[in-house]
Amino acid sequence: MENNLEGSGERKLQCSDVSKCFQLLESILDGANIPDSQEILKSKLAKCQPCFEHYHLEQAIKEVLKNKCTKHEVPSELVANIRQKIEEIK
Amino acid sequence: MSEVQRKKYTEQEKNRIFDEEFMPHIDSMYNFGYRLTFDEDDAKDLVQDTYLKAYRFINSFEQGTNAKAWLFRILKNSFINDYRKKSKQPAKVDYQEVETYYNSEDVDYKMTSDLRVDSLKDMLGDEISNALNSLAVDFRTVIILCDLEGFTYEEMAKILDIPIGTVRSRLHRARNLLKDKLRSYAQNMGYKTDEEE
Repeated sequence: MENNLEGSGERKLQCSDVSKCFQLLESILDGANIPDSQEILKSKLAKCQPCFEHYHLEQAIKEVLKNKCTKHEVPSELVANIRQKIEEIK
Repeated sequence: MSEVQRKKYTEQEKNRIFDEEFMPHIDSMYNFGYRLTFDEDDAKDLVQDTYLKAYRFINSFEQGTNAKAWLFRILKNSFINDYRKKSKQPAKVDYQEVETYYNSEDVDYKMTSDLRVDSLKDMLGDEISNALNSLAVDFRTVIILCDLEGFTYEEMAKILDIPIGTVRSRLHRARNLLKDKLRSYAQNMGYKTDEEE
């Protein structure tokens, strides 16, 4: 394992297995249950520039989606309508 | 199947499950409905139908399992089976575009994007929402489920009735399409992208 560059800023500029790495990074970001995910993540981001960039972009997109997407308020009559219909079918 | 064998809930239990496990999700359900239909009345109908079905089939809900995922699955099926058929509007989906993307789980992970993190942070909610809304419904759905609602891949697979591998690949494609949209917003906003340098 090439683990010596952690934190040194000397990331490799080409990723040797983009498909496998990006898929793994996205799974970790999405909270998939992967053993030692935080260690894997730390090591990959420290070693590989494409992985570093991909992860941070995906993370930023996930955050803006979660925090900025317009939320619509539930129309006030909806709950009452549902309850009324339920009473009718009981 | 266990659904047949399961004992029926009493009226009291039904009411408790409905009030305590189903109703708290109405906000997420309404927003999911709205993001599928882009119409307040259609979203209301979809959510109302979903809750009525949930009540009618409450005996097939297993207590202790994820009520939100169960409700989302019903809403998604109602949307496909009822809303899309009833809808007078032509489908808002470019099926061919979707189809050519669909048929395998083999995704090109080499696609890179010159979208920059900095430009994303300055985007407005409406721009983000518009980019999401412009995606075909199946791509939009996986992003809603994963990024807005926080479902796991396993839960998404159950909600959408597709294998986990397909969830993963569809999500990756959806995000690439979203990045394309966001990049064009970024360019319109005057942000430089790597392409221009």
